[in-house]
Amino acid sequence: MPLAMAAGRLSARSDADLIQASQRGDLSAFEEIYAAHAGRMKSIAFHLLADRADAEDAVQEAFLKIYRATGAIQYDTVLAPWIYRILLNCCYDTGRKRQRQAESPLPAEPPAIPSNVPLQVAIRSALARIHPQFRMVFWLFEVEGFRHSEVAAILEIPEGTSKKWLFEAKRDLKRLLTEGRA
Amino acid sequence: MTFHCRDLERALAIPELLPDAREHAKVCDACRRELWLWSEMSTAAPGLREEWETPDLWPQIRQELAAQQKAAKTRDLGWRGHWRMLAIAAGLAIAVSVSVVTYVRRAPAPAATQDPDFLTEQTLKEVEQSEAAYRASIDKLTRLAQPRLTAAENPAAIATREKLLMLDSEIDNVRSTVAHNKFNAQLQADLADLYRDKQDTLKEILQRAQ
Repeated sequence: MPLAMAAGRLSARSDADLIQASQRGDLSAFEEIYAAHAGRMKSIAFHLLADRADAEDAVQEAFLKIYRATGAIQYDTVLAPWIYRILLNCCYDTGRKRQRQAESPLPAEPPAIPSNVPLQVAIRSALARIHPQFRMVFWLFEVEGFRHSEVAAILEIPEGTSKKWLFEAKRDLKRLLTEGRA
Repeated sequence: MTFHCRDLERALAIPELLPDAREHAKVCDACRRELWLWSEMSTAAPGLREEWETPDLWPQIRQELAAQQKAAKTRDLGWRGHWRMLAIAAGLAIAVSVSVVTYVRRAPAPAATQDPDFLTEQTLKEVEQSEAAYRASIDKLTRLAQPRLTAAENPAAIATREKLLMLDSEIDNVRSTVAHNKFNAQLQADLADLYRDKQDTLKEILQRAQ
């Protein structure tokens, strides 16, 4: 699913139009950017911070940084990867500030996955046990609906690496889920 | 191709092998379960997405952005005011400089009226006239003293001749300098002293001769 559609953007304005308008101080243009991305940003932030208030703080901080930075970016910049990179950095900052383990919402040693829980709950538990890089790619691709090219742009990795890490994530998850349900 | 259970993981990594894996899964419960799980993870994953309403979030962000815009405008105005003050100061400095230069250029030789070492045109004219008259009177004295001076061969007469030669040489030097710096009162005074010295020396020769 293309990023703009996945984000639910209803605006007819292109990224370049929104950037230019934001650079002129047009807050309504910036609100369109917010409307298009805030929902998914909150979800990603919650995945990383495991707390709604922290996630909202991180999203707010990200939008303030994005607005300040729009003055310096090129009109032809593709907004989404840039926006989500800023969000991830804000989440890591928030996580560090609040002395939480940003990419591990659950305790360091998560409990084993019970066999009688719904698959979604089991996946959530298993995700906490896999490598953070694999987990991030799984989350962006499978949960948030980004394409590999977009995941690669957000995480600044080659597209092939995104595909490889997704496979590694699913293989590890399958192993954990199979063990739990065996 | 003959598909074995051990090939399943490779098939999951290489989509082209998946049809063979599915064929194998029809007769293998373990592989069928793993294939189902592989596919089901992707199906179930979007359900993990966390969504909740945050009606206050955008107003908070907007309020913060508006405050930042206002602060930026204030800073901008501050800088404009700063530059305006600098421009006014620079304009004043230029105006004062131009006025000073104009005044200095138009001022009629102010140094001559204020500094005793410099002469006005009128004073110089008077000095030059006096010097000419003085020189004429000294030349007259020289003509009177010369026969007596050249006739005497005593040491005093020889010393006096040398003194007069030295005075004449010095007078020529000072007059040459004065020619390039006529308004210098000090040089005119030095020249007058030399003339006076020569006059006194000539008077001594005439007095001795009497």
